Amino acid sequence: MGKKDTDVRMSLQTLKVLEIFLENPTEQLAGAQVHQRCGIASGTLYPILLRLESAGWFVSKWETIDPSSLGRPRRRLYRLTSTGLRRASEVFASFNRGVLA
Amino acid sequence: MSQRDERSMQPSMDGLAHWLIHHAARRAPDALSSRLEEEWLADLEARSSALSRLRFALGCCWATLVIASEYPRARVAAASAAAAGRGLVTLVDRNFGYFSLRSGTLFLIAGLHAALFYGLVTTLAHTRAAPPITDLVNRSVPEVPHKKLPLPQPSAELPKWIIDVPKVVDVRQEPDRPPDVVAKAAEEPTEPNWPGTETPPQTPPHIVKHVPGGTGAGFPDTADFYPSLSRHLEEQGISVVQVCVDTNGRLTSDPTIVTGSGSMRLDEGARKLARAGSGHYRPATEDGHPVNSCYPLGIRFQLKY
Repeated sequence: MGKKDTDVRMSLQTLKVLEIFLENPTEQLAGAQVHQRCGIASGTLYPILLRLESAGWFVSKWETIDPSSLGRPRRRLYRLTSTGLRRASEVFASFNRGVLA
Repeated sequence: MSQRDERSMQPSMDGLAHWLIHHAARRAPDALSSRLEEEWLADLEARSSALSRLRFALGCCWATLVIASEYPRARVAAASAAAAGRGLVTLVDRNFGYFSLRSGTLFLIAGLHAALFYGLVTTLAHTRAAPPITDLVNRSVPEVPHKKLPLPQPSAELPKWIIDVPKVVDVRQEPDRPPDVVAKAAEEPTEPNWPGTETPPQTPPHIVKHVPGGTGAGFPDTADFYPSLSRHLEEQGISVVQVCVDTNGRLTSDPTIVTGSGSMRLDEGARKLARAGSGHYRPATEDGHPVNSCYPLGIRFQLKY
């Protein structure tokens, strides 16, 4: 996915995802964890994650673990970029966080 | 579903969930296919129940469609240049020009609903029976006592409009009626009587029985007037001669050729024949009385072998 900064179509689900990441901008979250926190179904969640990554708001990388020791496969982790942090903050500032209240 | 039932179905549901994720990942753009499969399988393990895993897998199938429709075509083309063309074909098939897959699906569904609604409305409009007519007269019109009203008297100032309706002459019912009489009856003036020009009531018009004239007894034979040169040249034809005959069957004027036969000799022979027949014509009659008349007479010159 590219690193360019482009506009992202804002939907309520997209704002929910951004809000999860804005709670701790340095935290890396897998899709399963985002689902646990905001309850967005997988059919909607993964297109949003890919859309934000394609727009340069997110970066993703594989989890660096030993699957045999943990007994589970590695996950794909997403993190806000500096651009994504700035743009997401602007979006919520414009909405004054009233949309998600 | 109880926990026991869910436990017994767990292997099959997990197998179905894995199969769905593999299937969904294969249908994703090639550049993302392996990544999405691994990511989704990893996230699948985080789900606690089999039903939740199945729901997650079904969601991944839908996510594949959305991702494929949104993923830039250029990237797919570049990513799949070295790979098989399946990914590109799949992606192209899932896009409808300017519309995404989701928009196209929504338009299609809306169109189908509109067509169905239109069909139902038009069908019902044709098949709906007219509501039964209740006795509206008895309900809406109150009973009015019968009163004998004086008849309106015609005003003397009002003009009298009397229009004569021409009689229609049915030719088929009068086969013996000559055509010229029928024409006379049809051409009778049908002007209405305007105010101030009243005419007394007319009696039914008398139809004159007209019998056209023709050749009578003692009329010369055509063969006697067949021109010899025409016989030699084997000229044949019909000359129509206009003759005017008085009440005694005599010509009142010299016969004239109305329609030539194509041969001046035959036409001249026809005129001679018509002249020679003077006094042997059968005069035309009106109501049985002979009258002067003019009529065409056809003379056929035909060789007999």
